[in-house]
Amino acid sequence: MSGWEAVNSQTSQPGSSVQKTLSRTVTLGRVQPQTPALRTIFCNDRDANFAHRHKGNSISTTKYNIFTFLPKGLYEQFRRVANLYFLMVSILSATPYSPVNPVTNMVPFSLVLLFSLIKEAFEDWQRFQNDNAINNTPVDVLQAQGWETLQWKKLQVGDIIRVKQDGFFPADILLLASTNADGVCYIETANLDGETNLKIRKALEKTWDYLTPEKACEFKGEVQCEQPNNSLYTFTGNLAIGNQTLPLSPNQILLRVFSEHLFSIISNVVKGCSLKNTDFIVGSVIFTGHETKVMMNSMNVPSKRSTLERKLDRLILALFSTLFCMCLLGAIGSGIFIDRKYFYLGLGKNVEDQFNPDRRFMVFILTMLTLLTLYSTLIPISLYVSIETIKFIQSSQFINKDLNMYHAETNTPASARTSNLNEELGQVEYIFSDKTGTLTRNLMEFFKCSIGGEIYGTGMTEIERGVAARKGIKVQEVQTSTGAVREKGFNFDDVRLMRGAWRNEPNHDACKEFFRCLAICHTVLPEGDMSPEKIKYQAASPDEAALVLAAKNFGFFFYRRTPTMIYVRESHVERMGKTQDASYEILNVLEFNSTRKRQSVVCRYPDGRLVLYCKGADTVIYERLRSGNDDLNKVTRDHLEQFGSAGLRTLCLAYRDLASDLYESWNEKFIKAKSSLRDREKRLDEVAELIEKELILIGATAIEDKLQEGVPSCIQTLSKAGIKIWVLTGDKMETAINIAYACNLLNNEMKQFVISSETDAIREVEERGDQVEIALFIKDEVKKQLTQCLDEAPQYFCSPNGPKLGLVIDGKCLMYALDPSLRIMLLTLSLNCASYSVWIKGLHTAKKGYAVTSLVKKGAHKITLGIGDGANDVSMIQAAHIGIGISGLEGMQAVMASDFAIAQFRFLEDLLLVHGRWAYIRLCKVVMYFFYKNLAFTLTQFWFTFNTGFSGQRFYDDWFQSLYNVIFTALPVVFVGLFDKDISPSLSKKYPELYKEGVKNMFFKWRVVAIWAFFAVYHSLVFFYFISASSTTSLDRSGKMFGLWDVSTMAFTCVVVTTNLRLLMMCNSITKWHCISVGGSILVWFLFISLYSAIMTPLDRNDNMYWVIYILMGTSYFYVTLLLVPVAALLVDFLYLSVQRWFFPYDYQVVQEIHKDDIHSTGLSDLLELKQHLTPDEARSYEISQLPKEVSKHTGFAFDSPGYESFFASQFSKYVPPKAWDVARRASMRSKATPN
Amino acid sequence: MADMNRERHRTRETAFYLFTQQSLPACKPVLTPGWVITIFLFMGLIFIPVGLITLRASHSVVEIVDRYDTECVPEAFRIDKISYIQDDSIPKNCSRFMKVHKYMKAPIYIYYQLDNYYQNHRRYVKSRSDKQLLHGQKYHDTSSCQPVELNSGQPIVPCGLIAWSLFNDSFTFIRERAELKVNRKNIAWKSDRDHKFGKNVHPFNFQNGTLIGGGKLNPKIPLSDQEDLIVWMRTSALPSFRKLYGRIEEDLDADDVIVVNLMNNYNTYSFGGKKKLVLSTSSWLGGKNDFLGHACVIIGSSSLILAIVFTLLHLKYRRPHGDTSYLPWNRKSLSG
Repeated sequence: MSGWEAVNSQTSQPGSSVQKTLSRTVTLGRVQPQTPALRTIFCNDRDANFAHRHKGNSISTTKYNIFTFLPKGLYEQFRRVANLYFLMVSILSATPYSPVNPVTNMVPFSLVLLFSLIKEAFEDWQRFQNDNAINNTPVDVLQAQGWETLQWKKLQVGDIIRVKQDGFFPADILLLASTNADGVCYIETANLDGETNLKIRKALEKTWDYLTPEKACEFKGEVQCEQPNNSLYTFTGNLAIGNQTLPLSPNQILLRVFSEHLFSIISNVVKGCSLKNTDFIVGSVIFTGHETKVMMNSMNVPSKRSTLERKLDRLILALFSTLFCMCLLGAIGSGIFIDRKYFYLGLGKNVEDQFNPDRRFMVFILTMLTLLTLYSTLIPISLYVSIETIKFIQSSQFINKDLNMYHAETNTPASARTSNLNEELGQVEYIFSDKTGTLTRNLMEFFKCSIGGEIYGTGMTEIERGVAARKGIKVQEVQTSTGAVREKGFNFDDVRLMRGAWRNEPNHDACKEFFRCLAICHTVLPEGDMSPEKIKYQAASPDEAALVLAAKNFGFFFYRRTPTMIYVRESHVERMGKTQDASYEILNVLEFNSTRKRQSVVCRYPDGRLVLYCKGADTVIYERLRSGNDDLNKVTRDHLEQFGSAGLRTLCLAYRDLASDLYESWNEKFIKAKSSLRDREKRLDEVAELIEKELILIGATAIEDKLQEGVPSCIQTLSKAGIKIWVLTGDKMETAINIAYACNLLNNEMKQFVISSETDAIREVEERGDQVEIALFIKDEVKKQLTQCLDEAPQYFCSPNGPKLGLVIDGKCLMYALDPSLRIMLLTLSLNCASYSVWIKGLHTAKKGYAVTSLVKKGAHKITLGIGDGANDVSMIQAAHIGIGISGLEGMQAVMASDFAIAQFRFLEDLLLVHGRWAYIRLCKVVMYFFYKNLAFTLTQFWFTFNTGFSGQRFYDDWFQSLYNVIFTALPVVFVGLFDKDISPSLSKKYPELYKEGVKNMFFKWRVVAIWAFFAVYHSLVFFYFISASSTTSLDRSGKMFGLWDVSTMAFTCVVVTTNLRLLMMCNSITKWHCISVGGSILVWFLFISLYSAIMTPLDRNDNMYWVIYILMGTSYFYVTLLLVPVAALLVDFLYLSVQRWFFPYDYQVVQEIHKDDIHSTGLSDLLELKQHLTPDEARSYEISQLPKEVSKHTGFAFDSPGYESFFASQFSKYVPPKAWDVARRASMRSKATPN
Repeated sequence: MADMNRERHRTRETAFYLFTQQSLPACKPVLTPGWVITIFLFMGLIFIPVGLITLRASHSVVEIVDRYDTECVPEAFRIDKISYIQDDSIPKNCSRFMKVHKYMKAPIYIYYQLDNYYQNHRRYVKSRSDKQLLHGQKYHDTSSCQPVELNSGQPIVPCGLIAWSLFNDSFTFIRERAELKVNRKNIAWKSDRDHKFGKNVHPFNFQNGTLIGGGKLNPKIPLSDQEDLIVWMRTSALPSFRKLYGRIEEDLDADDVIVVNLMNNYNTYSFGGKKKLVLSTSSWLGGKNDFLGHACVIIGSSSLILAIVFTLLHLKYRRPHGDTSYLPWNRKSLSG
């Protein structure tokens, strides 16, 4: 031991001196990734590390602590212009120029500030709790020869720790040893990058042994590594053990996960851990707490502001200018008015500046200040607080807890990660969606087939169901045949084929060929046990796996492959029930590629028969069919089209019997081509052409790229709502178009524009290989195509009944179309298109998603929504106005970057059409009401100014004015913001067109503002002039006269009553809370004034108001006026509302009327219904025969062979071997299969 | 007990469920033509009677108004009224004749009315000290009374511009040579007399300055009994206002002629204000003011008219309520 220490102290000398000089730079500023110095860590030696003062492992994401809360929190508050304004007004009101008591402005302002601060404190407290939960998570740390459980926060750099299976890493760790052989451990990084596959980390061989506490105690190493930085995929450092120095790579580093995500793991919101398939690992802590790579990398997502709020700023600005104009007018008046002739004002020699007739300009300036404080109620001080409260409740209570958006299978509710954008959801015009994982489940299922001119398979796709629903045909659910095989990848049911029943079909020979073709013609590798139940197929594409799986279920079980042979266990071939093993010699495999669009296998039967089996796109197969079988070919083509329009992915199967001499001669050519060094691919293709002809068609397969539940109908609803949907995908054009059909994005009634780079002309130029020429040519071509589309578009667009337009554009073309010179054309075209889809192919989908989103966002000023589930969608999600992540799956990156997270694409319907729409309408109402009530109130004050010689005398008592906004009119409007409901959620989904009102921003236009302003002005005139005109004579039998304060109290009572009643008038639905709050507000006013005018304390005598309300209430005048004034004011509003509804109804009002008499079921019946809805045993068997067959040119060929490139790898331009995925997968499977 | 608790818990849960699922029971008023017409009709039916009753009350009030500010200035001074009013040596008495055109039942209220007099000017309104009015000289901080706070170093009670500018015209009424008794008690609100003006506070050092604003006060009478002052100090809301002077507690018959002997002391000439003397009876609704009645009748009748208009519209151009063809997306496809 002591010897070790000696070594350590020797070796650490130079290192620590470097450290010392550097630690200063570290503490001075934020640690830069480029810091050119090294950090030295003494593993398993706390004392040595202590000198370096590494940061602890506790993390804190709070904004404040107890001491900084007040100053920092206040500073944050005063960054808002409105708050700064109110601070200024409050200060002004403490000067003698103020007509009002300082409390008038200070009370509401401090109430608002207090509220905001409490909210901040509450949020910070929650963050603190989260941090605490994380910091107190236990972890095993090596201490004194044994594992001891410590809390995360106590962890220090250099500690040796043990992490067990399914545990997560408390800090960035250097992997020393693992229970697995070869020091390997598997980690799941889904939390980090969204990739679901396991990754391998491997310890250095030198450290493999330090597994037990006894051994680990002996470990004394010294790590010299880079300073903490935010690069997740790099690590440079050395490990010095004894005299040896070993280089470290990222392969030995285990990263801590995002703390936000960590919290959701701890609280069981998301499943997902880090260490997999490994009993435990031992590692040494390198970076702790805030210095871990993820913490340094934690994104400061810029908070998005909603468009409505930005418009609101303009409204506030307009209010400010109104305020200024009012002050200016009043100030000019005061400058003119002031005169010595009014002797009773005592304007003698020494009069102060504000009233000095000799210095009229000073009078003007100072009155300006006076009026500014007097009219400050024009700016609604509690507006922002109210809006924030409303939005917070909307998102936390309504969106997060909506059962309609709760996904029972994954136990995932919707979650609003920000409450800023609720109303933005009501105005979305463009949706940018990722395909895989968002629209589709990326799960291929064998669904139907056509064999020898007969369709098999009784299932019904989502899109067929949608078509049926649209046509009003009731689809009957047919009983699934008993014992129908259902398996992941196989969703086929037809008694005619299953369990050998195909033998009784008239075309059983074709069936046999069909199944053999499926079982033989592929490149799939079987894995695992060789029993049909346990076998796993490893395929380059899920389509292929599905086909082989189908063969298995039909009784042609492919179970083994050698380089030359394929072994198939065939059932029912000879006779029913008999199983026999057959082996086929594979002579040649003509592989699939995108130009060939087909794949062939030449095989020799055990009996010597030579057959070429081929599967591929209908276009290429039909070209190569032997003539003479036209009937079958035609029928099959019809079937293909049927499949295609049902959104299925089709392949044609064909075979050809080969004579051996023909084959031998061809095989020579093939071998030659295969061994050629130049243009091998091309020559192979040419050779393949020679034999792939004279084919005989067997049939066609139809695979369903399983869509997420409810996607087509959701897309249809959304497009009816006027939302344009762009889908970004990495697929091939055909696949893309196919999926577009499947999800209803494209249909046969639509005019499609296809801009593709895969034209012959382009290919020709590409073959020549001159990059510059290619670029120029494609750009030209794209321009030509765009122009053509643009020329054609208007003729469709102008006629209302004409087809809708759809655009399909591939990635390469898009790259050029996004070029500044062509951008405008693309944009115009996109704006003309009613529904619109873009398909992007290429590696950098993430970047293009961002580019397209930004184009529409900035170029067209439309509100965009990005939805996706993976790490490659992050940039798109962040670029869009609203980002939505699909949650509930393993990947969290998209959710972390998103504003809202939902479990299923179809929940978008609820999120947009119900919550978004409501939030928008409600918020508009709230804003408009605030605008109205403050304007109406302040204008009475303004009219009064004209009657006071422009002196700035206040009309209302200080307290009236200060409590008007925060007490007497505060609560009801919040209830409107929460509860107002024009139509029920089911109706807003039934009439998606209603959503357009939000897109067009119908409820927050300047016209609407003007109407409200008109009412505010009218009301204020009624308030002021009705009251003042009626109180010129005595108002009761005693002949006594009213004074200023009696009149103003009367007026204020009318204001409170009227503005509260006006709120009720704008409600679409009135709950008891509306009544309670409105009634309550009025009641509170009367209670307040009764107390206020009865109490006279010796401290603050309020002579003015003393007994006023009782004097008022003792007169009959009070009651008549209280009846008259609100009615006189509101009657005009009522007239407006009736005329508007009568002659210019909003769409929602018409819908309201249609469903006026519907009984709105509320309460528990809904709950029950929902619960049933939530546990759907979605039987996919409906009678297909009832469906009208759609005629389509679209046959639905699609066949994918996706590469598993890593998004991050491409982002950081790092090479990731494509096989890594496979290796990890297999490794994980093996260990699962054989639990030791 | 447990049952009740559970029951309550369940109710609360249900309520919360209804809240989060946004399906709170609500009434959803839809403004159908029927409702519109009914509401307008209803308003009409309420407001026309109310208006008529109010008008009747107003019309039952007999009011005689006499503007005397110009007439009471002798011919010779009409060109320069200010010097007339400011010259103490000129006698200010003046006689006016008021003819009663209709029987007036006691009590008959006497008001003086001032126009273009900004009693609601900010400088004026705040120039008073409520505490001094209640506590007298015991209360020292009278800075709010500027500029009439002190005179030759002595505090003024009551201080401030309002008190300083107290109206000081006085009126006597003679009918058929017999003086009508004018009751000048109980002309201020009781709450003012009892709680705002001290019973032991006597005027002090009042109106002793170089500039005399208006009326003087008898230092022997406590402020709470100086009802003229109390009335004056309840500042008016508008620049044209009436204030109660007293009551005549005898009936006046039609065609009676009342001789008013008045002292035209108060200076409204410098700022061109008018002075009027008003005799008025009162009704349950107070003095003569047609405004409320007219407003009610106008509101009521326009509601009625609107009800009729809407009914006609409804009969003639019946809007098919809830017709789907009204929806724009349907409309488009229909027309197209």
